[in-house]
Amino acid sequence: MKRSWEGWLHGVSLVALAAGSLMLAPGQANAADITITMAAPDWPPTRFMKEEFDRSFKSASGNNITLEMDYIPWPSFYERVAASLTSGEQKYQMIVTDSQWLGSFVDGGYYKDLTEEIKNDPELTAIMKDLHPALVSAYSTYPNKSPQFIKDNPFPAPDTHYYGFPQFPDTYVTFYRKDLFCNETEAKKFQESFNQKLPCTYEDWQDVDWTVYENIGKHFMRKKGDPLGDGVADDDFFGVSFQAGKSYDFSSMQVNAFIWQNGGEIWDETRQPEAQAEGVVNSDINVKAFEQYLNFIQYMPPVAKTGQADIFVIQDLYMQGKTATTIDWVGLGEPVLDPKTSRVHDKSAFGPAPGVRKEDGTIDRTGNIGGQPFVLTTWNSPEVDAAAIEVVKWWLKPETQKKFAANGGQSGLMSVMADPEYDSLRPWNRAHKEMLDWQRDVWHVPEFFELLTQQQEEFDKAITGQITAQEALDSIARFQQQTLEDAGRIE
Amino acid sequence: MASSAVVAHEIRSEGGFLPWLLAPQRRGPLLVAPALIVLFLMNIFPLLWSFGLSFYNYSAKKRDVPDFVGLRFFERVVTDPVVWERFKTTAIIVSSSVLMQLVVGFLLALLFAKQFPLRRILLMLVLTPMMLSLVAVGVFFKLFYEPTFGLVSQAVAMFTGDRYALLGSPTGAIIGVVIADAWMWSPFVMLLVLAGLVSVPKYLYEAAEIDRTSPWRRFQTITFPYIKSLLLLAVLFRTIETFKLFDVVYILTEGGPGTATETIGVYVYRLAFQYFRTSQSAALAYIILFVVIVLTSLYLYAVNRRAQEVD
Repeated sequence: MKRSWEGWLHGVSLVALAAGSLMLAPGQANAADITITMAAPDWPPTRFMKEEFDRSFKSASGNNITLEMDYIPWPSFYERVAASLTSGEQKYQMIVTDSQWLGSFVDGGYYKDLTEEIKNDPELTAIMKDLHPALVSAYSTYPNKSPQFIKDNPFPAPDTHYYGFPQFPDTYVTFYRKDLFCNETEAKKFQESFNQKLPCTYEDWQDVDWTVYENIGKHFMRKKGDPLGDGVADDDFFGVSFQAGKSYDFSSMQVNAFIWQNGGEIWDETRQPEAQAEGVVNSDINVKAFEQYLNFIQYMPPVAKTGQADIFVIQDLYMQGKTATTIDWVGLGEPVLDPKTSRVHDKSAFGPAPGVRKEDGTIDRTGNIGGQPFVLTTWNSPEVDAAAIEVVKWWLKPETQKKFAANGGQSGLMSVMADPEYDSLRPWNRAHKEMLDWQRDVWHVPEFFELLTQQQEEFDKAITGQITAQEALDSIARFQQQTLEDAGRIE
Repeated sequence: MASSAVVAHEIRSEGGFLPWLLAPQRRGPLLVAPALIVLFLMNIFPLLWSFGLSFYNYSAKKRDVPDFVGLRFFERVVTDPVVWERFKTTAIIVSSSVLMQLVVGFLLALLFAKQFPLRRILLMLVLTPMMLSLVAVGVFFKLFYEPTFGLVSQAVAMFTGDRYALLGSPTGAIIGVVIADAWMWSPFVMLLVLAGLVSVPKYLYEAAEIDRTSPWRRFQTITFPYIKSLLLLAVLFRTIETFKLFDVVYILTEGGPGTATETIGVYVYRLAFQYFRTSQSAALAYIILFVVIVLTSLYLYAVNRRAQEVD
């Protein structure tokens, strides 16, 4: 009797122990089902990520990890993500985020600081060291560190916190009509008019500065019925276009390029609290650079005069054959080559964006980085965090990155970009690689949306001819000085 | 304590909670209760909550504890020149749009008060715009005004040879917004005026005809008195609605060029959901609410007057 009682006790203990160990270590004894919901803008780079995940992701931990994308249209992306985060619903475990939002949502306590995870994981450390410094600077660090600082201080840089990894690194490049730019008649006329060579090959475009680009603008302005290439223009035709839109950041991204290339500066968040806005933002150099930007509006489709030439509008006008060339994000290149959406799908080629020619003859192409990192949220359990890190590692594996680059995306890994095959994966890859070295970013501080909105409004007034470049920049400088002083970022 | 004991006794005597609850004298309140609960949760509670927030320093973006600041944000809002600038823009758009709706709506009503072939089909078509979604109307007019391929620009180019960017200047953009809003809501004014027109007794016109009065005199002495209150009602209703204008402006111009068409509604949205100045936006929203309440009171007064006239 005593023996059977002891046996029963022993049996119960074993069952309890087994149950306890299962509860304490989920996913080790048995595979756990983990679903990661990611907030993502609705466009090809994130659609590809989901499709490729479903095709090729295999969890190293053996867990059943599912990636659910919550696709949000671009125009409402910020508002939807912000509303979700601030409501406390804790819906997302990962978020594709614009780099400028880092400060806002890190300070709010929503984005997870991954510095220790990266330090303690050799695979993640290797990824971080392989990423292009411009991307680490813009997409990962907050408080922001400059690309030069990241270049000089590989991971882990002193006094630096890391948050994000590149989901899609983007730069703007030139989209151009090779049937027009490589047309003999057009080339001859251009040579006669400007005593310059009309750029045709990629190498020609490497030598295009803003002066040549302006001449291109003048040259290709045609009325309906005018000769164009080997035929006639079936509608009014316009020389050039780049972003000049009031929405979100659709003029700041291009104006910043003009400012930096001319040697000007925006308020430098990496030098708080000494860096000033007044005197810097409205410096003579910046005014001259902004005037140079405004000068191009006359050679652009008339929508630019309304301040509504956003990145999608200029892409659309280019695809409908209304402009000879446009400067737009690589991320918007794929539809240009699609016969279903583009009238110029078989006539388009890509080159680096123009820049300012320096005294030594080289061209400064400094631009404002595009694209987005993805981050983890702070409320994830350790199991979900581990699963999310697996997703990060999978996405930044060279094989995945190459497939992404072959399908219209771009890689941020220098080892992948160094592959000789990379340039030929898509027609814009060479230009993107060349442009990546020139990238800088706008501010990442929590006040960025106020700074951006006011700046966009003033730029828009200048674009639509209501005020001068000087007046616009004076107003922006005053507003930034006041806002940043109030926030304690300028002393 | 005593009342709960009474209720407990009632429940026992009526044979349980459910029979007690479904007793005839409680059915009325019971049927209304779900609507009241929804109303409280969806309207009254958020209203009270946001009203409370307007007295605290709070940003929904941060997880900081709200800090009581009294009337600071109300003071900041009423002394902010940007707010007054947005009110001015709103007033210009409201007055222009409502005037246009009145004129167009009135003329349409005069047209449809008469019988003519295909009247019913045409009436249906004219009423369509106000049944469309605001977003659809915004997108439709954006394409309509688009200077490269839009119809307005193409039409102007036929005469001038150059493309026309209506939304490229502050005045043009305001005109663009006003036309879009008036296009959508003139049929509403027409319906109200039409209701007034058909209520005029025919014998009055017959008597006027025997007296050989001029059409203008007939309008002044017979038609206008009958539609006067309805017109006032239309003005007030449309003023209240246009005052809150957001969708069409946001889609059509996003407040541009610059800030030329940024209405107070768009500005509240920016404060609340782009800048995340939650308390300040709540304070401004309550000031707007106050203006709308004043207008609504006028509207109710007009409705009562109309009811008295009909009686």
